[in-house]
Amino acid sequence: MNTYNMVKQRFIKKWINTLHMLDSSIEHPLNVTERKNAIRLSSDLAIAAARSGSTVWSRALISRSGNKTTNKPMARRILKKARNRMKNRCRTLRRNGNFTAKVGVRKRTELLKSLVPGGELIDDKDYLIRETLDYIVYLRAQVDVMRTVAAVDLVTGNLTNDRRNK
Amino acid sequence: MLEGLVSQESLSLNSMDMSVLERLKWVQQQQQQLQQVVSQSSNNSPELLQILQFHGSNNDELLQSSFSQFQMFGSGFGPNYNMGFGPPHEAMDECISRTSSCHMEPVDTIEVLLKTGEENRAIALKNKRKPEVKTREEEKIEKKIKVEAETESSIKGKSNMRNTEASSDTSKETSKGASEIQKLDYIHVRARRGQATDRHSLAERARREKISKKMKYLQDIVPGCNKVTGKAGMLDEIINYVQCLQRQVEFLSMKLAVLNPELELAVEDVSVKQFQAYFTNVAASKQSIMVDVPLFPLDQQGSLDLSAINPNQTTSIEAPSTSWETQSQSLYNTSSLGFQY
Repeated sequence: MNTYNMVKQRFIKKWINTLHMLDSSIEHPLNVTERKNAIRLSSDLAIAAARSGSTVWSRALISRSGNKTTNKPMARRILKKARNRMKNRCRTLRRNGNFTAKVGVRKRTELLKSLVPGGELIDDKDYLIRETLDYIVYLRAQVDVMRTVAAVDLVTGNLTNDRRNK
Repeated sequence: MLEGLVSQESLSLNSMDMSVLERLKWVQQQQQQLQQVVSQSSNNSPELLQILQFHGSNNDELLQSSFSQFQMFGSGFGPNYNMGFGPPHEAMDECISRTSSCHMEPVDTIEVLLKTGEENRAIALKNKRKPEVKTREEEKIEKKIKVEAETESSIKGKSNMRNTEASSDTSKETSKGASEIQKLDYIHVRARRGQATDRHSLAERARREKISKKMKYLQDIVPGCNKVTGKAGMLDEIINYVQCLQRQVEFLSMKLAVLNPELELAVEDVSVKQFQAYFTNVAASKQSIMVDVPLFPLDQQGSLDLSAINPNQTTSIEAPSTSWETQSQSLYNTSSLGFQY
């Protein structure tokens, strides 16, 4: 239990850093979608950084995000495009893929490979599952932290609104 | 002929600043040369060829087993040989596509095995047991927790194989606490009554046990996995869960973007320590979030600890962060450069 909290704390530290970095380098004002992409990017980098080790997914995530943020004017466009492409791919896969058990393990592993960053590079099924488990843990940490931060923001937002209204 | 190979390796790999591509090409060359050797001697040991194929499917573990093989025969081939296989390992660690490059190396070492004769059988058998022990070590070495690795790997090795008893060598080795990969542990295999002592079936059994163990951890981590049986169902659950989590992240980042007009997330008001304090308070109060926490078998470094051993309290978080720095320094430099205009 301690270690999971430590994971989250590491994630928080990295996330603060990445947010600051992104904040200083992105022009303002941004619309909501761009802000969301920036937050998503920074948090992805943060979980990859928190895991920084021998996992394929963390390195793949870093390189994937790195490719997206190099060129400034193209960056946001590329970010959006990449997001859309990924979303569309996931949607089509879901449509085609109410797999019956007959279709079997192979197609599901293909799908899993597409979901886990860096999964396409892994051939060994055992290793893929191990990577997936690791990735799930860190995703979970990311979700927990973001949820609580959102809750905090909501609360502080309400408080400031109340103060303003009074 | 192997002497020639050794000298070639030592020549080519003495310069550490060989690029990764060159190293891979070198490995391919080695493989081709050894392939010829194998074809000549394939008549003698068909079983070993099958073992070769079996091992072709396990990449990372073979890397470690290949190391062990080397240290075994290191005395025969001299120090250069060990060094020869050192750099490719590190290089491959740095590549993202590590598994594809790993194919070459283990084959080499097993083919080296073929040359040496009778020792092959015992060693090939040992070969299958070692991957279990060595895989954990590979991960731990990078994090520089050596003692933990030794105990973990030994315990994992012991618990995973019902039919094997680790000899006293293993226990002695683990107490050393060094990150050396040279280990001469002989794991004696004893088959249960009514089960085949065939080399194949032993290998298959070991592999199945490994997979079933992983499935158990899956069930711990992914909620709702207990009701589903069979690989396809489990994979379904995993895929579902990963998709769910990713969608949640997407949604939460959108929510945060809406709630914060600037990209700061009220971070300046809240220092890191306050965050941590907030989290510990939250942990005490909100039970719902922390329900699944004890199920994550995490070790001290936050990597997935498949042996589910409670870690001791000494941490070195610096080690991962330094590797993070080296890996992503370039990333941040480029991103910062790219963003400035």
